Formats: sequence, C-alpha cells, structure tokens
Amino acid sequence: MTELNNLWLTETIRLREEHAGPLDDLEANRLARTAGGDLPSRIQRRALWLAERDGLTNALTHWLQGARLALLVLAALAVVSGAGLAFAALGDGQVPVNVFWALGSLLGLNLILLLSWTLGLVFAGEHGATLGRLWLWLSEKFARDAKAAQLAPALLLLLQRHKLNRWAIGVLVNSVWLLAMLSALAILLTLMATRRYGFVWETTLLSADTFVAMTQALGALPALLGFNVPTVEMIRASGDAALNIESARQAWATWLVGVLVVYGVFPRLLLALFCLWRWKTGRAALRLDLNLPGYAQLRERLMPTSERLGISDAAPDQLHRIESGVSELHSNGALLVAIELDDQRPWPPYLPKTVGNAGILDSRESRHKLLEQLSRFPPARLLIACDPRRSPDRGSLALIAELARNASATRVWLLQAPPGEALDAARLGDWHTALQQLELPFADCAPMNWLETGHD
Amino acid sequence: MTKPLKLAVVGHTNVGKTSLLRTLTRDVGFGEVSHRPSTTRHVEGARLSVDGEPLLDLYDTPGLEDAIALLDYLERLERPGERLDGPARLARFLEGSEARQRFEQEAKVLRQLQASDAGLYVIDAREPVLAKYRDELEVLASCGKPLLPVLNFVSSANHREPDWREALARLGLHALVRFDSVAPPEDGERRLYESLALLLENARPQLERLIADQQAQRLARQHSAARLIAELLIDCAACRRSVASNAEQEQHAISELRKAVRQREQRCVEALLKLYAFRPQDAAASDLPLLDGRWGDDLFNPETLKQLGVRVGSGIAAGAAAGAGVDLLVGGLTLGAAALAGAIAGGALQTARSYGSRLLGKIKGQRELTVDDSVLRLLALRQRQLLQALNTRGHAAMDSIQVATPQDKTWREGKLPEALNKARAYPQWSSLNPHPKLNQAERQEQIDALAQQL
Repeated sequence: MTELNNLWLTETIRLREEHAGPLDDLEANRLARTAGGDLPSRIQRRALWLAERDGLTNALTHWLQGARLALLVLAALAVVSGAGLAFAALGDGQVPVNVFWALGSLLGLNLILLLSWTLGLVFAGEHGATLGRLWLWLSEKFARDAKAAQLAPALLLLLQRHKLNRWAIGVLVNSVWLLAMLSALAILLTLMATRRYGFVWETTLLSADTFVAMTQALGALPALLGFNVPTVEMIRASGDAALNIESARQAWATWLVGVLVVYGVFPRLLLALFCLWRWKTGRAALRLDLNLPGYAQLRERLMPTSERLGISDAAPDQLHRIESGVSELHSNGALLVAIELDDQRPWPPYLPKTVGNAGILDSRESRHKLLEQLSRFPPARLLIACDPRRSPDRGSLALIAELARNASATRVWLLQAPPGEALDAARLGDWHTALQQLELPFADCAPMNWLETGHD
Repeated sequence: MTKPLKLAVVGHTNVGKTSLLRTLTRDVGFGEVSHRPSTTRHVEGARLSVDGEPLLDLYDTPGLEDAIALLDYLERLERPGERLDGPARLARFLEGSEARQRFEQEAKVLRQLQASDAGLYVIDAREPVLAKYRDELEVLASCGKPLLPVLNFVSSANHREPDWREALARLGLHALVRFDSVAPPEDGERRLYESLALLLENARPQLERLIADQQAQRLARQHSAARLIAELLIDCAACRRSVASNAEQEQHAISELRKAVRQREQRCVEALLKLYAFRPQDAAASDLPLLDGRWGDDLFNPETLKQLGVRVGSGIAAGAAAGAGVDLLVGGLTLGAAALAGAIAGGALQTARSYGSRLLGKIKGQRELTVDDSVLRLLALRQRQLLQALNTRGHAAMDSIQVATPQDKTWREGKLPEALNKARAYPQWSSLNPHPKLNQAERQEQIDALAQQL
C-alpha cells in the first residue's frame, strides 16, 4: 500500500461515516491508540483497519487493477491512432505527399487539444472539474456495492483539496499524447525508410514566397537541432511537381520529421514531465486535513488530550461527625455572637441591655478568647448569627457545635441577604440540613424576645 | 519521555476545584459538582497529553474545611523545646491518629500536595478574605510546594478581586491567575500555564508545548465549526421544494420545508456541541441559547427576525409576516440567476437539465419554494452566536449563558456571500433535497470559501 492509497482509504472511511453514520470502531480505536504515533497516523491506522474489515482494501485493489487495464487500453489506442496519423499523412506513396496537409494531419488535432488543455488549466481548472464529474458519474454507475461507492469521490476530494487532480490528469493526458506522437514518429520513419515519397505543396491563392517563408520559419527551430531545411530553390521547385532527386526528398523528409519532433513530441514531453513533477511534489505533501469535522471528532477517541486517571485516595465511608450537646454547668445571661461576617454588614444590631454582645468571630484568637470566656461563664441563651452566603463547612459547623456545648440553649440566626442581593436557595438549604443534623433551632430573623426573656 | 508535571488542585470546600478540572480537561463528566459542601471526598486524577505524551497530571482533592482547627492542632504537635519546620510538622501530623479521624479530609489534601510538584489554590473571588482562608494558606504553605492562587468566579458581579490580591500579597503570593471555570477567558488556560511556568522553571518546555497544542486545537475547532456552519447554510440555501400553486398544498409544503430546515439546524447544533465536547443534553437542559425561551421562538416568525435586527425585504415581508418567511419564487425568476451562475461554473449541462424540469413545472402551474435570505441570515447569526457561546463556555458550566446579539451588521443586511447565491442554483448540493450529490468538488469549494468568510 502506498502512502496515497492509505490516504485514499482514510478519506473513503471518513466519507462513509459522514454519509452512513459512524462505524463500529471500538476495536479499531483501541488498536490505533496502542500503536501510538501522531494523530494523522492513528487516524490512518484506524481507517485501514476498518477498510480491511469491510473489504474496502480489496475493492481498492480491484479499482487499481481496473484503472491499470484502462490505462493499457488507452495506451494501445494511442499507439494505434498515432500510427493511423502517420499513415494518413504519408499515404501509400502512389501520389506525392502534400507537405502541409501531412503536417496538418500529424499536428493539427494535437495542437488544438493542447491549447484547450492549457486554457482549461489556466482558467480555474474547469477541465479537471468536468473530468472529475465524469469520474463521479462513472463510479456511481459502476459501483457494485454501497461500501465501495465512496471510493471514487474520496480520491477526487482528496486530490481536489490540494489542487492535485489537474496535475494527475495532466500527466495522463500528456503522456497519452506523447505516446501517440512517438508512435506516429516511428511509423513515419519506418515508412520513409522503406518507401519512396515525393513531396509537393499546392496553392491557388497564395504566392510561392509565402510557402518559402513558412517552410523556413517552421524549420528554424528543428534546424537548431540539426534537422535539414530544404533550400529556397527546392521549395520553389516542389511547388510544380515532386522533385525526383534524392537530396530534395531527404531534405523534405528530415524537415517533416524535425517539425513533428519539435512541435509534436517535445511540447507533450515537457508538459508530461512538468505535470509529473508537480504531481510528485504535491503527492509527497499530501496530508490529512485535520480541520475536517470528521477527523476533528476522532481526536478525542484516538488521542485524548485528557483522560481520567481514576481515584487515587478513596472517600471515607463517612465524614467525621460533629458532636452536639448542651452545657450542664450553671448558666446565666444571654449572648449574641456572629460568625464570619464581612465588613459590608452593620453589626451589632440594636440589643437590649440584658443581652451581651460577643462581637464577630473570625480568627483563631477571637475563637479561643470567646470559648475560654464561655467555659467559665456559660450563658443561658446563646444566639449565633451566620451569613448563609458562606458555605456551611465543617469548620464553621464545628465552631457552632462547640459554642452550643458551652451554653444551656442555643439558636442560630441565618441572616438575610444585604439589600440588593439574594440568597442562593440551594446554599440556604445546605445550612438548614447541616443545622438540623446538629439539632439546633434556626430562624431567618433575630429571636430577640427569646434572647431577652427566654420566651417566644 | 518526560515525567508529567503533577499538580494538586486545592482550596476551601465549594470554591470550584472540580469545576476547574472539568474546564481544564474539557471533560464535562469529571467528578461530581454540586452546591453542597464536601461534594468531592476523594482524590481523583486527570491527565493532559499532547501527541499521546502525558504532560500534566491534575489531581482533584477534597475541600479544606477546618483549617483553623488544623493549624491549631499542628502548632500543638510541637513538643516543648523543639522547633519543627512545616514539612516536618506535617509528617508528624500525617503519622498521627487525627489524620485518620477529624482531619481525615485535610490529610488527603496535604498528602496529595506533598506528592505533587505544585498546587493550584482555588479561590471563590466572591467570598470575603476570612481568617480561615489565611490559615488554610498557612497550612498549605507548610507542604513546601509552590502555590499558584487561581481566582474563580471573577466574572461574577460582586467579586472581591482587589481584596484577595492584597491579602495574597501580604502572604507573599504575588503571582495569581484569574480563571473563571464557568466562563473562562479565551486566553485563560495560556495565562494559567504561563504563570505556572514562572513558578516551575524546569517544567517550562512541557507547559509551553501544552500551550501551543491547546492553541492549535482551539484554532482547529474553530475551523471545523465554521465548516459545519457553512455546510448548514449551503444545505439550506440550495434547498428547494416544488409545489402546485394551490393554497392548501402550499401551506403544507411550507411547513414541511420549515420542519426540514429546523431539523437540519438542530443537527448542526448537535455536531457543534460534539465538536466542543459538550453533551447533547447540555443543550436539551435549556442551557443553550437555541432552546432557551428567547431563542426557542419560531425560526420563521417575523418578530424573531426583527428582534435580531434582520431587515426583512419588503417583497418578502408579506410571506414572512404570514408566518412563513419563505420565499415563493416563480420558477421563471430564478432561471436567469441559475443559468448565469451555472454558466459561470461551467455546469451548463446540469443547469440545462434542471432548467427543463423546472420549465415543465412552470407550465404545469407549479411554484418553487426556497429558503428566504433573511432565514439564511438568521441561521448564520444563531449559529455564530452559539459558536461564540461555546468558545467561552467552560466545561463546568451548568446554567445557561446569555448570548448578546452581535454588533456587526454584515450578516443582517446587505448581500449574502457569493457562495450562497451560487448554491441557490444547485439543488443537488442540499442534503435536504432528493438525490443530493454532496461530494461534488464545486460544493466543497463553496463550503470552503464560505467557511473562510465565517
């Protein structure tokens, strides 16, 4: 399998998946992943595996065999028609050969088609598109099963994307014509070597000077390569009848061969070589277009940029439980304390004289100080104010529980949101659940009456 | 093969550590995210690779919840007359029994941070700088590993970034990164890894490779997305229905066409979601503009068109107001354009074929339905808005993103791109038509051209 065939099969698989939905590719993906390499090579490996499984590789081989056969037929056709051109140009030797008629039949069709091919190449590559459409149409007609139906479009798209199809077709067209021209040249030489031809030119309208000039102009390039050009006298003399002298016959014959070589064989040879060079460099640069959605989606499956590593330190069966309780000591008085309030909130609220204010607990030091104080003088009623915008983490809950253990009765006041803001209902729910677990009563407004008197 | 860089994602409970991991790994299903505190109670890893080579291991850890008490406990571990440094104190703590009881979760975090090269300290920027966070940082600092603070939720209105910056500076943490895991800035990941590279000089090549790869993938995704949208637009522009000019059948055909276009759009939306590694149900869960109230409006409703500022052409307005917005072009009018475009494209044969059948239809009194220009503009607008939303959507996002109407007017008025005008003349380019030829080279060329314009 050449690199091109691999890309071709990969593109075919992409088209199949685009049109008929994803294939069952678990095994292919796994194999491609374990083989490693960069993304294009993994995509190719996966596609090749799928192609092999679905018989696409075989279909491709059949295709290539068919193409080779068609190429052979085409080559044979070219050889035969080239020979035909030469026979038609020279005739059977019974009548003198009209040199310009011979030249026209040898070169005319070739040059017209060469011109049309060049125009097609220059103007937007229409030529390739037309032939491409013909190719698609043919492949649709000849596709025997659905699997192979995407083979031809895939090659076309692959080449089209890199503007390579014109060069591929250029190689084909020009080499076929080159073959035809060479065959014509060979037959021409054979015929002229084994038969005697006389050469004439004829005109009704033009003057002899025109023919002299034309013959010399056409012969100028071949003359550089060493082909003879008939002398002016010979040309003028050939206007009346075929000269029956050897030197004139040879001069005309070499002139004809020279013109055929220079204007028939050389252009096609050069163009074929040029197209071949473009095709080879282009083919070497052929890559998968990873921006195509079909390939982009494969990335996560074949070369995941992120993968989960699993749990390395498992969760405990249950988190550390916070003990709740009440103080058994003799208690007295009422106290309000706030936990972790930010500075946007005015604090403390207006308090009756009988209620003490323990301020805002935030740092370790303030916690220690208050807990020391509470354990010595436990309050009868403790109200803890919390901001439910904070998260009810274990640290805060442990602090609330510890405070509650140092008072005879404790309630929690979940503060309202400051003006212009709303509480997150989900987070408020978390506070409710957590406080219910601690078995502490809570409310969203200050139970000042209870705090002051002990009654609601 | 280099060893992957290990990072522990640490922080208080409920600040979005798992969310950060989801966004960095583009994995919507990683871990569990909820509003409850201590949702994550285990340490779970995720690996970022480039070209199959692992470069970065990220570890999600449980939240620190009781740092004040832990710091207290750590200080009491020091026996009289000895002076322990941070790591030594931690080692003693991790050996002790409290590391398996009250501070079990904290111990997990500290063990993981010690085993990592650095830590990302995630901060909920909406929170005030409380003493417990300072204590948390002190406990984490005693691991002796570099810490990079990551400010999460900075796109929220009431964030307190300046307070945090000041507080972190006081603790000696001057490098910090803003990274909203729900709406990450386009260069957020790059900034994060660049800041990390400053902290971990040895890991710079790895991190730079990661940055380059992520940038390349971002571009590739955008190209693929543009192609998907271009295909949708070509499909819709080339879509065509032939219908007998009879009011009842016309209505039926219009609703059929409308249904087909909407289904096609939905397919495009699903493909985009898949491309950006979001789940299809992410859209169904009403968090994508298309299915949101404002977006759920009838695609062909002229009010929607007006709302989006699409200027409905005067001749077509009647059809649009009738709830159709579908252009009823008499066959004869489009023939000229089709012939012209066809001739230009060299598809004269193809055109002549459809020409014949359409002429026949015209004689039989049939009319042709195509999708209106404004509908195409709307489709393009909606898809581009969706694309913008996806580009800036973190994989931790749970709720819907507000997508603003784009300010540029190029799509709302003026000429449609040449590719779409061309597509109108090629019914076989639309997957919505019978016997489509989707692989025609010209179609692919036009899709490429349109994708470039998008």
